[in-house]
Parts: sequence; structure tokens; C-alpha cells
Amino acid sequence: MSSSVDPSVQAAASNRAVQTSAKPIASAVELEPGVASDLDLMLGIQSGDAEAFSELYDRYSGVVKALILRIIHDETGADDLLQEVFMEIWNQAKNFSAQKGKPLGWMVTLTRRRAIDALRKRQAYARAAGRLQAEPERQPLAWVQNVTENAILARDTRVLMAKVVNSLPEAQQRVIELAFFQGMSQREIASNTNIPLGTVKTRLELGLKKIYDGLKELKDEL
Amino acid sequence: MSFEEFQNCARLYVIGALEPEELKDFEAARKQYGSAAEDFINECHSLHEAFALSLKPAKASTAIKARLMSMVRERNKNQSGAEPT
Repeated sequence: MSSSVDPSVQAAASNRAVQTSAKPIASAVELEPGVASDLDLMLGIQSGDAEAFSELYDRYSGVVKALILRIIHDETGADDLLQEVFMEIWNQAKNFSAQKGKPLGWMVTLTRRRAIDALRKRQAYARAAGRLQAEPERQPLAWVQNVTENAILARDTRVLMAKVVNSLPEAQQRVIELAFFQGMSQREIASNTNIPLGTVKTRLELGLKKIYDGLKELKDEL
Repeated sequence: MSFEEFQNCARLYVIGALEPEELKDFEAARKQYGSAAEDFINECHSLHEAFALSLKPAKASTAIKARLMSMVRERNKNQSGAEPT
């Protein structure tokens, strides 16, 4: 998998990591000075501010849709889910607590749960209809694809995150891919990949620890 | 369970990859380590952000946004209309 990553992504990521100077993190994406933080927007939505909701959609609909697409691999279904997810964000905003994490983390958790539910319903339907096809190798595993350098430079945070994730050995990326994006348990991964359960667990633990440690380093850099 | 083992389990826990039989030991350790455990679990949620932000953003439809804004404004209108004067 590592070999399929656009080399310009990693090169630009390294360059940007060096160039990044100290700055406060108000959002998971780059913001102009004076623009409302993610937390400001969530607080606005909690009090029924439609404009805050509009701003949050503009800021994160691309990320949310990418996550949905990564899980269900269907453009039309992704649009339906995107609408459902943002409606749920509006309806459930009162349950968001800044003490428990950042707005994007909360949105990603909500999105992932919805998308994996949809994926499982589709898989169950396909099995019932006898049309389930073998698909583990259908999608490329690279998490960042065909990104131009200009696009990369405009999205420091994403590139740095991609750098952390893509720095993992392929075997670890593979099991994390199946656990996070396909919602598989360790046993399901072992069964699907013919890898011993203990090896799956070790790869997951090592991979997640490396990502976690990488994120901590990134936060220090930022 | 040592705190390091708890940390490994916590990272699996936040992405939903902890097996049912591991959950019992994890919850026991969570109680044992108290606020340090809760703080670590909260930090682990940053893994979710990392996975999402490592993806290339997709183009989201303006028609969906228009529908959402219409629904949201309609709800606000209904709620303010339902409030006692």
C-alpha cells in the first residue's frame, strides 16, 4: 500500500512539517484570522443558529463525504448519508460536549457509525439476495490519492495527517483499514485475511500506537 | 492490566475494535485508573480526526446544503411559533 501513495504527498508533507510555525489550533482545517472556531460553530448550532450550521457544512462536508465514500464506496448513497449525517449533527448538537473532545472527532464518530450501519445493511441485503461478491481487494488502500501539489499545500493539516497514517507498514495499514473503515472486529479481520487473531491484534495495537504518537508529535510541531 | 496495556486497549476501544471478552478487563482497568484513564480515552478520540483528515475531501453537493438549510430554517420557524408568547 505504501508504494501506491503519491510521492508528492509525502514530499510536500515533509516540507510543510518543517515550514509550519507555532499557531493555535482552533479547527482541524486552516482558518482565516477572525473566523469562528469549530467550537464556536457547535455552540452556535446548540443554540439553533442556522448560519453556524451553514458554516460547519461548508467547512466539513468534504471531509464527512470522503469518510462516507471510503466506507460505502457509492456516490449516490454517500450523498444520502451526507444529508442524514448533517441533519443528525443539527438534531444531536445538544449532546456534544467540549469536555469530551473536539467537534470534528464527534462528527467523525457519528458519521462512521452511520456509514458502517449502512454498509452492514447493504451487505446483509446482498447476502440475502445471493449477490454478495468477493470485494476485499476491490478498492485501493491508499488513503490519499491523486493529489496535486497545490491542493496539498492548501491543506496542511490533511497532508500532515496523511503523512502519519501513510508512514505505517502496509500490514498495519491493512488491519486498521478493515477495523476503522469497514467496522470489522479483530475476529472478522482474522477470518477475512487468514491472519492469526494474535497477529491482527498486534498489528492493530502497533499501528494505532504509531498514529497516536505521530499525532502527538504533530500537535507539538503545530 | 498495566497502564500501558490499558492504553493499547483504549486505542482499540475508541475505534470499536475491542473484542467482547476484552471489554470486561478493559472496563475494570478503566475504573482502576480513574481520571487518568478517562483523560487518555478522550485523547484517543483524536485518532478519529486523523483518519478522516487523512482522506482527500470529496465534493459535497450544494443541493444537499440547500435542502438541509431549508429543513433547519423550517424547524427553527416551527419551534419559535410553538413557543408560548
